[in-house]
Amino acid sequence: MSAAPLLSLNNVSKSFGGLQVISDVSFEVPAGVRMALIGPNGAGKTTIFNLISGVYIPDTGTVTFDGTDITSMPSRRRVGRGLARSFQNIRLMPHLSVVENIMLGQQSRASGLIDMTLPLGAGSRWRRDAEELLAHMGLGTFPGEVAATLPYGIRKKIEVVRALAASPKLLMLDEPAAGLNPAETANLRDFLKTISDTGTTILIVEHDMGLVRSLCDHAVVLNFGKKIYDGSTRHVQENPLVLEAYLGSRHAKDHDAEVHREATDA
Amino acid sequence: MSGYMSGILSILAINIIFAYGIFLAVATGQLNLGGAGFQAVGAYAAAYLTATFGLSVPLTLLFGVVLAGLVGVAIAFPILRTKGVYLVLATFAFAEVITGAILNSEELGGAMGISVPAYVDWYVPVIMAVCVIGFVFYVMSTRFGLAMRAIHDDEQVSDLMGVSIRGVKVVAFGIGAALAGLSGGLYAVSYSYVEVQSFNALLSIYVLLYVLLGGTQTAWGPLVGATFFTILPEVLRDALPALKTAVVGLFGDADNVAPPDESWRFVILGLMTILMMVIRPEGLVTRTMVENLQFWKKGATSARREVTEG
Amino acid sequence: MLLLQQIINSVMLGSVYVTVAVAFTLTIGILNFLNFTIPTLFMLTGMTGWAIAYWGLPMGLSGPLPWPVALVIGILVAVLASLVVERFTFRYLKTRYGDSTEHAIPLVSSLGFLLVLENLVQIGYGNDSQRFPGPDADLTLNIGGLFVRIPQLVSLLVTVAIVVGLTLLLKRSRIGRGLRAIAENPDAANILGVDTARVVPVVFMLTGLLCGLAGALFAVNYGEVSPFMGEDIGTKAIAGMVIGGLGSIWGAVLGGLVVGLLEMMTVHFFGADTVQVVVWGALLLTLIAYPQGLFGHNSIGKGKL
Repeated sequence: MSAAPLLSLNNVSKSFGGLQVISDVSFEVPAGVRMALIGPNGAGKTTIFNLISGVYIPDTGTVTFDGTDITSMPSRRRVGRGLARSFQNIRLMPHLSVVENIMLGQQSRASGLIDMTLPLGAGSRWRRDAEELLAHMGLGTFPGEVAATLPYGIRKKIEVVRALAASPKLLMLDEPAAGLNPAETANLRDFLKTISDTGTTILIVEHDMGLVRSLCDHAVVLNFGKKIYDGSTRHVQENPLVLEAYLGSRHAKDHDAEVHREATDA
Repeated sequence: MSGYMSGILSILAINIIFAYGIFLAVATGQLNLGGAGFQAVGAYAAAYLTATFGLSVPLTLLFGVVLAGLVGVAIAFPILRTKGVYLVLATFAFAEVITGAILNSEELGGAMGISVPAYVDWYVPVIMAVCVIGFVFYVMSTRFGLAMRAIHDDEQVSDLMGVSIRGVKVVAFGIGAALAGLSGGLYAVSYSYVEVQSFNALLSIYVLLYVLLGGTQTAWGPLVGATFFTILPEVLRDALPALKTAVVGLFGDADNVAPPDESWRFVILGLMTILMMVIRPEGLVTRTMVENLQFWKKGATSARREVTEG
Repeated sequence: MLLLQQIINSVMLGSVYVTVAVAFTLTIGILNFLNFTIPTLFMLTGMTGWAIAYWGLPMGLSGPLPWPVALVIGILVAVLASLVVERFTFRYLKTRYGDSTEHAIPLVSSLGFLLVLENLVQIGYGNDSQRFPGPDADLTLNIGGLFVRIPQLVSLLVTVAIVVGLTLLLKRSRIGRGLRAIAENPDAANILGVDTARVVPVVFMLTGLLCGLAGALFAVNYGEVSPFMGEDIGTKAIAGMVIGGLGSIWGAVLGGLVVGLLEMMTVHFFGADTVQVVVWGALLLTLIAYPQGLFGHNSIGKGKL
């Protein structure tokens, strides 16, 4: 990895009300890769996403994107820099139609006075753009439907397309396969590969290790807010720390209890 | 046209414009319970300028619109920092401060009001209302309108999509205030008289209810809501006296009580509000309904099911 | 001496506001609900109390009743009405998308109740002020040159008793713990086994009771009731609640007293017409500059996000 990374986190920490959620995490996302951010529940994956997209500002450390320090850049500016994301629980606008949700995704490219005040009617460039994107992604059949009425799997994909509508350099997806059946997951994988082939970098939080291995070549593993692994997806399951974090969540609990007991005994 | 009809048309047009003023704020997710305050600004601006400087009607209306809009934007910056209950209270308090200030201003006639040496016929408010309806439909069709509706649905996600939450909210609130001001100005020149007591808290409540009951998802909502509740009492004019005597006989002393005629209209408005919030909190006209009607008009197959939306 | 007398008067005035402000703050603090029926419930007790004392029960069930009985019935009417409001603002409502106007549904519903109740009272009883046939409101104690009217003193004592009782109820009782759990986090309270469907009506019963008591005290104190008596009190109580901080009972107490003082001073220095501007101006300034008020928590009343 000689080229400058697209995204890098440098010694980022974040705590909420005295609870350290992220401690001193650093990693890099090179341009053009498909990378996974994994770890057990509560490891801090979504918090990392929120720190990158600007929902939270880190207590210490910096976030650099595409050569710029974005640590304290307002969240709404970041999408214009090329940083788009989806959400763990679908957050499409329930009262907007599918195509309107996609047009909302274009916002960062269309926030000038003229774009804001021209109608988005049937003939407008932005609506055509959005409809083409939907059709291209195999979702061309529902443009006029109100988002809230569509099936779960479809809405999940629409959320990905909405993020794509910003023409991002980095696409961050928070558990895109959660709640999908195996066929839908396979479908999603191909879908994401298509996106990746156009040159978009993908950072994905995912629990489905099958999807992670078949989609990504690189993974960062978090546990209790700390980075415990950063390397190839092929060897991730051989790493003892990762094994303990996942398989030993029960063991880990016992271990904790033991430590606690010893501490109180002493 | 009879005086009765033209009177109804005037007030209908004024109520529609007023409702659109509140709609622009509510569609962006901000409950504006200060409508009467903005209407009072427009009405008093028009009345004062006509009475004191003898300006022509178009000019006074323009002043009223601009002033109300400026006041709206000026108050929006601090007020829109607040949310939820705080915003409702702040807009409400704003209206009370405005009307209270007018009440104490000798220059503006205090409790006596100002009589306006100008008069416009029913077609002026009606033409203005048609323009406002067109304008609001246009706004809702633009990307700005899309941003408004997105903010209403989910502020945080809209922000992450790159929408300037603050900017859209302030502009929508400001334009809304200007429209409320326009309705006030038209009120002043249609009735040739303004008194501060008519811009009371209940007026703010009524207009907000017109908008919410009509529905805030599309620009049709306020039109339907304001029209329905302005026309309703006229339609019920004959049926009401009988009802009135019945209720008075039940609870009170029919011989000694002369209830105000307006009361029934508001009882009905209140009852409909309560029921609507239970049955159909999104209001009478929804997006899906409008779309289905359009499909139906285009002669699409009836196979398209009525989507039960929220 | 004059100043001291003014302060005493304003405390007496404030104590009426306090009871209603506590009702407001209770519903906001626990249910995140700005209940606009509160001033109407206050008025309902006054007007039904008057009607029963003057005409008797409706449909000729009885002749005029003594005023204390009439007021007790009036308070019961307010409690019942409040429970009806609970049905339609909470029980039958469900939120679906959690968008930004949806959390306001109970508020809008309460505006509907405000219109219905206020106008029904006007239709039934007319819209004039009525003299309430209570005890002599001008019985006065003279303590070292300072005058205190006895009904006012009774109101003050009742108010103090209400606030102390309510604080104890919230702190000590099972119901109180349930209420506080709901205030913290409704979903978590449900999981922890708080029966929301049984606990929420308690809030509305307390609301009805507080408003009813305040309405009864008002009728006795001022000897006059009208369908509009709630509007002024509602204003001052909301101002008191905001100044004290949303959701804090002791904040509402202090806020109510501050508003009483503010009103007395304004009348004294600027005249009665300016009270509206001063009280609402203070409210607006507090909301903008210091929204947490004197004792409130930042989290209350924000709605979503």
